[in-house]
Amino acid sequence: MTRKEIREHILQIFQKEFEIENPDLDDNLREKHEFDSIDAVELLLQIEKMLGSELTQEEKKQAMDIRTINHICDYVETMAKARGIDVSRD
Amino acid sequence: MERQRARHGLGLARDFLLTIIIWTYYIISFFVFFSFLYAFRLVFAKNREFSFQRVNAFFFRTFFRVLAILLPRVSWHIGHDVKAIRSSVIIANHLSFLDPILLVSLFPRQKTIVKSRYFAMPVFGWILKRSGYIPAFTHGEDTDILLEQVAKMRQYLSAGGNLFIFPEGTRSRTGKLGTFDKGAFRIARQCGAPLTILSIKGTGNLYPPDSFLFKTGEDMEISVEVVKTIVPDQENGFESISAMIAEAKSALSDRMNLP
Repeated sequence: MTRKEIREHILQIFQKEFEIENPDLDDNLREKHEFDSIDAVELLLQIEKMLGSELTQEEKKQAMDIRTINHICDYVETMAKARGIDVSRD
Repeated sequence: MERQRARHGLGLARDFLLTIIIWTYYIISFFVFFSFLYAFRLVFAKNREFSFQRVNAFFFRTFFRVLAILLPRVSWHIGHDVKAIRSSVIIANHLSFLDPILLVSLFPRQKTIVKSRYFAMPVFGWILKRSGYIPAFTHGEDTDILLEQVAKMRQYLSAGGNLFIFPEGTRSRTGKLGTFDKGAFRIARQCGAPLTILSIKGTGNLYPPDSFLFKTGEDMEISVEVVKTIVPDQENGFESISAMIAEAKSALSDRMNLP
């Protein structure tokens, strides 16, 4: 898995599930796209599917403060590494 | 002119007096009777969350009965199909502080999304948590509550519970519909639950936003009606969230005769 693949997957999720097309990677999702806590819970479900394993309660709590697509990619990368998935840079 | 001014003054005095009586009843009935009921349910109930929701419904049903006695010029019309709603995500327009407590009074199993600051209030915040209500914005301990409640939502809805949400997020000052938040629609889609749209009329006249006083001197009608139920397609789930929002908003506008 590469960082680029993670980013593309996340952008696909945003397009399909949240109807947010091509957000800027540093957009504040809450302020610019009204991304709320219920959306964040849905995103976590999608990330679990992507990683093929469930996130712990502590890991989910960490995600609730995420604000940008870049932060989400960092988060997924960290979670993937914690599960022994190799993540290479682009 | 003088007579008109005197009549206005008398009207205000009556509004003030009745408002004081209503809120005094509210506070005293809670501390003298309902607080003990909550305590009893806390100790003895098998399913505390459901038990607290039933007490909430009982408390507010009683409150509205007292309101009906004190304000005989107000007529109440609650559709039988409203009271029969189960296992649904319910959305409604929002006109007054009375709306959420009116909906609590109608459903024995009810949850809703509540402004986070209320969760920090003594007594009230504790009841909200025990009743399984959900904080609107999350940080710290609220995050645990949100994650726990969303995880349990599908099971709660299939067991007959209702989740009601005011998608405008705030009371309308003009009677017009504001922008709808996506939360209710997303939860309905996630859980494959029917989305029921209610129209509420008249509460904003009886207890307007930004006013402490009930308006007690006018004939008025308060009604709650089912506008439409959108049932998820078992095969394909719901349509897109924005299409659901557009459908709900249009149905509600039509029912309320809004442009």
